[in-house]
Amino acid sequence: MRRMQRHILTLLVLLLGTAGGYGQEIRFNATVDRNEIATGERIRLTITLSNTRERFEAPDMGGLVVLQGPFESSSMSIVNGRMSSEVTRTWILTATKPGTFTIGPAKVKIGNGIAQTDPITIQVTKGSGPPPSDPNAARGQARDPNLFASITLNKTKAYVGEQVIATYTLYSRYNNIELTKYDLPVMNGFWSEEIATGDRGWEPQPQVVNGIPYNVAILKQQVLFPQKSGKLKITPMELSCIVNRSFFNRGTEITLESNATELTVLPLPSPAPPDFNGAVGDIQMSVQADRTEVKANEAIQLHVRFSGKGNLKLLEAPDLKLPVDFETYDPKVTDKITVNASGMGGSREFEYLLIPRHEGDYDLPGIGFTYFDVKSGTYKSLSSPPITFHVSQGEGSSSAPNASRPGRSDVQVLDEDIRYIRTGDPQLRPSGSLLFGSAPWIAGMAAPALAFVLFLGWRRRRERALADVAGTRRRMADRVARKHLAEAGKLIDAPDRAPFHSALSKALQGYMADKFQLGLAQLTQPMVRERLATLPDGQALADRYVALVTACDMARFAPVEEKPRQQLYDDAADLIGRIENAYRANAANDRK
Amino acid sequence: MARILIALFLALPLLGHGMSKQEAEALVQQANTAYSGSHYEQALALYDSARTEYASATLFYNIGNCHFKLNDIPRAILFYERALRLSPGSDDIQANLDLARQQVVDRINALPSFSLGNTWSSFRGGRDVDQWARRALWGCTALFVLLAGVLLVRANMVKRMLQVAAVIALLFSLMATGFAAVRKAEVTSTDEAIVMQAKVDVRSEPRDGSTVLFVLHKGTKVEVLQDANGWNEVRLPNGNVGWMPATAMERI
Repeated sequence: MRRMQRHILTLLVLLLGTAGGYGQEIRFNATVDRNEIATGERIRLTITLSNTRERFEAPDMGGLVVLQGPFESSSMSIVNGRMSSEVTRTWILTATKPGTFTIGPAKVKIGNGIAQTDPITIQVTKGSGPPPSDPNAARGQARDPNLFASITLNKTKAYVGEQVIATYTLYSRYNNIELTKYDLPVMNGFWSEEIATGDRGWEPQPQVVNGIPYNVAILKQQVLFPQKSGKLKITPMELSCIVNRSFFNRGTEITLESNATELTVLPLPSPAPPDFNGAVGDIQMSVQADRTEVKANEAIQLHVRFSGKGNLKLLEAPDLKLPVDFETYDPKVTDKITVNASGMGGSREFEYLLIPRHEGDYDLPGIGFTYFDVKSGTYKSLSSPPITFHVSQGEGSSSAPNASRPGRSDVQVLDEDIRYIRTGDPQLRPSGSLLFGSAPWIAGMAAPALAFVLFLGWRRRRERALADVAGTRRRMADRVARKHLAEAGKLIDAPDRAPFHSALSKALQGYMADKFQLGLAQLTQPMVRERLATLPDGQALADRYVALVTACDMARFAPVEEKPRQQLYDDAADLIGRIENAYRANAANDRK
Repeated sequence: MARILIALFLALPLLGHGMSKQEAEALVQQANTAYSGSHYEQALALYDSARTEYASATLFYNIGNCHFKLNDIPRAILFYERALRLSPGSDDIQANLDLARQQVVDRINALPSFSLGNTWSSFRGGRDVDQWARRALWGCTALFVLLAGVLLVRANMVKRMLQVAAVIALLFSLMATGFAAVRKAEVTSTDEAIVMQAKVDVRSEPRDGSTVLFVLHKGTKVEVLQDANGWNEVRLPNGNVGWMPATAMERI
């Protein structure tokens, strides 16, 4: 028996020991069965405190009259060795006058802190006699307190492109509810992206709204990106559902509309930086090449990765300013973007395949990216450091002659500009001056023609002269005679006298022969006299001629010189001059 | 007396010019330096002072470049056109003119015209405006020298060759004279102009208020047909004709 008692004691201790450690969290809430009544109607206020042994104070009823209560009930259960307890106190309240009443919070001391319930607002309308039998009909079309839907936004102001989360919620107090259809609002001015709710989608969660416990189901959540500034309205969501359907009951169809809401969208500050591409959020960029030392024609992978929060799905591939000798293809886009209750986030990665075609060192300039930072409300520019690629000679890309080798390429024109000025001799000339038609030009053109005409004239005369041998001889007589005279002149002082006189005689006789077309045999005195007689003053000239020739002959053969040589010479020269003059004068007379 | 005359004769070419050729060339050199340092305004001023008394295709081309760099496209076109007149078929001038024309608003479809291309026009243009005139001089001289040769030489074979050469020289000098005459007409013609105003209404009559036929924009090249009290009648390459104020254009 004693032993038995000990066992029971042990059991009790075990039980108490377990009870001492409440494993469950403490719950404390206040609920009412409804929060809109008419005067005289009754409300049931229930306050539940669980998992603690503390006692709570009754709340301030805020002007409502307590009809009955509090009734207290408590329960305790042990599940899998864990104990939970619950204390419930219930009041029946009523209102005597219309208005808005607030049931204050109930408080309980737990540990060092105080837990309290939410205050509950009760709308009391003026009752009309006894309470209506059908509460649903009585409350009109305004709002079924047992079933309503709402749209909530997580912020009321946002920049263009900033993400806003819209939550569509259904609140219901019916046990059995079947949603037949719902129409989400038409989103004008938004780009929207649904949040995947996963498996927990339709599972209703209990939630107390203004004292009334509801089963709350989140129908859908969306991330909204406003696309324009201004006040954007979101129209109500419409839905219809069937409640209270059971095996025995077809149920009631209820159609309801949620609230409408609006969002103030702020425009992005202007002016936007030139490379701003519409990215809004909180975004980081990283640029990575898998290697910087390659051989020509080998591929390089370049990863440009944007991560963070924001409208990542709208990001476009950045513009790489690749060196000319690099070939690339459209980048491969890898998205790791999740859309969840905290918005759109994750990363978008662009993977470029770069193929350098020639050896050398190439610089890839830094990639610039500008986004609008929502937190600070400013534009932020990111830029990656430049990357230098060292490309060494690859197989088959160099001097080996190969018709199909990819190494040859056209020179690419990168940009156009005017050609540079000419810096050489500017070849300046006075403005307005032209050679053609100017006086020097005309003179230059005329000069050769003139020269040619002169040439023709000279030639004609010469031809005529050549044809006329006698005339030539006559014309040349003077010149030839002077030549002979000059020879004689050199001999004036010679020791021997014969050569001088011989030369002088030859000059005189030669002249006469030439001038009058006489052979040497014809140079007799009478012949000479006859010819000279035709000239004016011919007799005197003939006398002088005969005298001179005789003197020369005498001096040649006689032992003495009658006259000095100089005198003879001058005489001869004078005579030839005179005959020539007389001849010309005669010829001139003839021409007349 | 004779010495004074000689001095006067030497000074004669200088009387018309306040600036010697050396001075002008020095100005052009300075301008080139300024241009290479991207001081286009300064370069333009220097070129312009050389232009007051001297001209050349190179000078006009460089001035056109300055205007282009200063973004004065109509004036750039004007000077490229002037340079092209002095040196037709020049590759550089044509390239820059084409580039400048790309920025002109008006696109006019020219009526099809006969053109033998750059080689022909640069052959026809000569190295400078006087080249054909000089060639005519040489050709004329050669012709008469050869004719004289024909008369002097007796050997039959040589005579025959000289005769052929003389015929060639005759044809050459005739052609050169013809080309020189055409070049003079081209260079001195004032019947082409460039529109200088940003926008100008071309009217049906030479007075304000008459019907606007079409609208031209700066940089467009027009042919001037006649002028009357401050208005010019112009023709477009596509054949349209109308009147516009003379102040809105500058002759090439």
